[in-house]
Amino acid sequence: MTVAASVTLPAQGSADAFTDPGAALLRLLTDRSTDLPQVDPGHVAAAALRGRHAGSDFAELRGLAVEAAASMIAEDPQYSKLAARLLALEIRDEAVSQGAVSFSASIAVGHTEGLIGDTTAAFVAKHADAFDALIDQQGDDRFEYFGLRTVQSRYLLRHPITRKVVETPQHFLLRVAAGLAVGDSAQSVAEVAELYTLMSRLEYLTSSPTLFNSGTKHPQMSSCYLLDSPLDNLDSIYNRYAQIARLSKHAGGIGLSYSRIRSRGSLIRGTNGKSNGIVPFLRTLDSSVAAVNQGGRRKGAACVYLETWHADIEEFLELRDNTGEEARRTHNLNLAHWIPDEFMRRVNANQDWSLFSPADVPELVDLWGADFDEAYLKAEQAGKAVRTIPAQTLYARMMRTLAQTGNGWMTFKDASNRAANQTALPGRTVHSSNLCTEILEVTDDSETAVCNLGSVNLGAHVAAGASAADLMSAMDWDRLDATVRTAVTFLDRVIDINFYPTTEAGNSNSRWRPVGLGVMGLQDVFFQLRIDFDSAEAKTLSTLIAERIMLTAYERSADLAEEFGRHEAYGETRAARGELHIDHFGSATPQWTGRWDALRARIATTGLRNSLLLAIAPTATIASIAGVYECIEPQVSNLFKRETLSGEFLQVNPYLVRELKELGVWDQQTRDALRDANGSVQELNWLPQEVRSLYRTAWELPQRALIDLAAARMPYIDQSQSLNLFMAAPTIGKLSSMYAYAWKVGLKTTYYLRSRPATRIAQAASGTARAAVPVPAPTMSQEEQDAIACSLENPESCEACQ
Amino acid sequence: MSDDRKMLLDPGFELTLRPMRYPSFYDRYRDAIKNTWTVEEVDLHSDVADLAKLSEGERHMIGRLVAFFATGDSIVANNVVLSLYKHINSPEARLYLSRQLFEEAVHVQFYLTLLDTYLPDPDDRNAAFAAVENIPSIHQKAQFCFKYMNAVDHIDSLQTKEDRRAFLLNLICFAACVEGLFFYGAFAYVYWFRSRGLLHGLATGTNWVFRDESMHMDFAMSVVDTVREEEPDLFDDEMAKQVTEMLEEAVEAELQFAQDLCGDGLPGMNTASMRQYLEAVADQRLARLGLPIRYGSTNPFGFMELQNVQELTNFFERRVSAYQVAVEGSVSFDDDF
Repeated sequence: MTVAASVTLPAQGSADAFTDPGAALLRLLTDRSTDLPQVDPGHVAAAALRGRHAGSDFAELRGLAVEAAASMIAEDPQYSKLAARLLALEIRDEAVSQGAVSFSASIAVGHTEGLIGDTTAAFVAKHADAFDALIDQQGDDRFEYFGLRTVQSRYLLRHPITRKVVETPQHFLLRVAAGLAVGDSAQSVAEVAELYTLMSRLEYLTSSPTLFNSGTKHPQMSSCYLLDSPLDNLDSIYNRYAQIARLSKHAGGIGLSYSRIRSRGSLIRGTNGKSNGIVPFLRTLDSSVAAVNQGGRRKGAACVYLETWHADIEEFLELRDNTGEEARRTHNLNLAHWIPDEFMRRVNANQDWSLFSPADVPELVDLWGADFDEAYLKAEQAGKAVRTIPAQTLYARMMRTLAQTGNGWMTFKDASNRAANQTALPGRTVHSSNLCTEILEVTDDSETAVCNLGSVNLGAHVAAGASAADLMSAMDWDRLDATVRTAVTFLDRVIDINFYPTTEAGNSNSRWRPVGLGVMGLQDVFFQLRIDFDSAEAKTLSTLIAERIMLTAYERSADLAEEFGRHEAYGETRAARGELHIDHFGSATPQWTGRWDALRARIATTGLRNSLLLAIAPTATIASIAGVYECIEPQVSNLFKRETLSGEFLQVNPYLVRELKELGVWDQQTRDALRDANGSVQELNWLPQEVRSLYRTAWELPQRALIDLAAARMPYIDQSQSLNLFMAAPTIGKLSSMYAYAWKVGLKTTYYLRSRPATRIAQAASGTARAAVPVPAPTMSQEEQDAIACSLENPESCEACQ
Repeated sequence: MSDDRKMLLDPGFELTLRPMRYPSFYDRYRDAIKNTWTVEEVDLHSDVADLAKLSEGERHMIGRLVAFFATGDSIVANNVVLSLYKHINSPEARLYLSRQLFEEAVHVQFYLTLLDTYLPDPDDRNAAFAAVENIPSIHQKAQFCFKYMNAVDHIDSLQTKEDRRAFLLNLICFAACVEGLFFYGAFAYVYWFRSRGLLHGLATGTNWVFRDESMHMDFAMSVVDTVREEEPDLFDDEMAKQVTEMLEEAVEAELQFAQDLCGDGLPGMNTASMRQYLEAVADQRLARLGLPIRYGSTNPFGFMELQNVQELTNFFERRVSAYQVAVEGSVSFDDDF
């Protein structure tokens, strides 16, 4: 740190940096906050100096100032900007100390240290000046603190020995773009510039694995892998562990079916013994997944899918319980149900449900729709069931597990197969979704499905002067089209440049060439236009956006097919039969019918480059880099803390702050009340009703609205969407109603059920003691004050703040 | 209130649960069950790697901290058995205390597991467990606890006003000073590490311990509230003076501990900031007890403010600590959602 200090000082500070680092710090803070009127540099400097100890140098003080400014974000979001700027300086100095004085130098250092791949290194060296000129000097200033901190701690490449960063955030984004180049001509540079510009403006970001690995020696850039169930024998089971370990090592998330493995008590002919069922094997998988961390950057993660008729379903439901025998628990695995329609029908009709061992009914796994129903009934009639239970009893247990663990995601086998482009031929079956329930692709023993993802930042595509009154002009549609075209071009490239950790994955990807373009920041669009999440306008606009993105993505895929050829298995798709995804949804009413007609005609001659194009991923990390709300989700709170591997961060809803400032009520009272109410504005009755309505959180919105938005969007998403549902205090009754509705409206998949802890941590030390400093509240009646006081003393007894 | 009405601190072992006299204690018991967690859920594997990265001063701090935790929860558990369970005469309150006792046991197990993981050398481990004897700054905190335990040791039943006052001081000591100040001090060091991206396993377990301790303190405070309502004359000026002095003494004891932990200070953590934090916490405890604040300090630690705000964890990274355990109801298709 001391070496870097000499580089970092603002010019005027260099004289006293060593003699009076405090004064130098104050000058730096003042200099970096001239356009941030709400920031008090002295306040930050004082807090930083308080944390100083004997021997603190300037660099350390600046580091403390970053944390001090970050801790003041709850006071005013402008502190986030200041913290980000200080952090950018720190990162720049660190990169420079490792020799990364320019983009081309950064790539050269990375190449020497064995991080950057030969092709990318040679490409950049060849056009060094052109590349260096591409770097947007203002780029770093677009980051908020949380985003930049995430980039620094997790994404920037580090020197293998010193562990210092060897690239700045802008170098990093340009490296990712350069890693996706085709050829090494000047034209290639121009294409790279197009993608870099989008990412530097945070208008589009590729998924984390691409950000991690593009341009490196092992460019494994796919986000997810879907594996079929191992076959019902030991060799196959152990072979899957090895495949999963290899995929996980290179930063992929795993979705895995286990529906082919015989259940507990089934006869094993080879030894004449009885099987112990799936649990012991999943336990081994659990340890294996935990043992392999993704390049040291995050722990491996996997989701196991089980069909609802599997006779081990009840033990499967207990895998994440925190009580009971540890040998039958898997704390690292995520769990999902792969539910046939027949089960939901029997739940609705309160009928019995039969459980089977796959050894007795091996055919069920590969069937869906009417074929499945028929085979299932036949197996029942043949008396093959291991046992029979009331369907509602099992359904209630599924709901209980969701409430207790958030896990046991509800995904629907028939809806997922019915409209799937890859299931045109008999025997082609989607056997599971992936780790985040947005990917739906066929798998079998020789094909591991792969998907590469990227997400458009919708918040950055709202039209200038847009209003809720004219939704057709709310978005900058032309710019959105341009973004989607560039995004699809580069997602398609990933397929060819990608490093495939297993042959099964390589096989599948070259045949189907699926990609998953998604979105983030839908909530930002609604805030910018002041549309309630559960309004008719929200549903209309969100559906329009989905339609437009699908339309443009397919147009671009047709372009690519013309240029590079259709994907190998095109002839086996529904699209080749003139059947597009929207045709499976009678309720869909497309707006841009002329373009759809043209597209159909075009596909009939050119075909498509990609079998699948759309999937809405959770975007947890990239949305935080872009500083927007996650994918299609409502905000979880107006004020919340994020814990990640890189520490803790506080975020305040900037739209709310702006609005409250305009209303003149962004004061200490409001801030305290917001924090005490866990980021809810519902109890802040000095705010206008429409403000409280707009800024409801996911906990306060009717979940029906989230499901309705997802269902309306469904025709335009050819894979699926990671749809979290939120319920502060779940009951079996509410959950069973909610998921039955989600199934009824035709959702393919749902994701986590989010709930809240039953008891909460007491306030640690909120400023001065509350009783000592009564808050003046001129706009509140005594009764209203009592209501808030009550919820503070006893948050759990008060319905209002749940 | 008539004289024949039974009061919470009247001696005896009341068995009647219906009609329930203190339903809120029963609600607390049920809420606590919903938050069951087990040590096996805490993943400590990244902590070991982090420990290697710490500076000498930070390693010293962690060693002391874990040593304190390892014995602190045991002392609290002892007091639940020897004092609170004995004298709080309500079966529903005793349900809660039984649950609290279980939680203290889980905490002890957690810190035991942590110590075994953090200190692979058997001699270091033994030394840590002997902290109460060997380490002056921990010894002193233990002495503080023992003083208030000894004060009620000879009392078999709370016959006189004096007995009841002694008991209240014991109750308040453990709620406001031990769980509410010593532990809150220790939590601050843990969260300071976490705010720098270090020791996530420790932080995860501590998060759950913190949640439990908050509830214990809250329960004890509501016992105080109930007693105050039933026997207001117990809360005289002398009592107010004693409680304030007790908190002062606790702050000083915790500061000695801070001096031992921080030495000359570490970036972002030093004795002066810790003093300010402890004073702010002590003020809050006094205010909760309806007493005038003593210090007028504000919390200097941004990372402790964060502690109050709800979390949203990306599951790639860590297990979400927000799920409930008990869920009720039956299948239905027309509930509101």
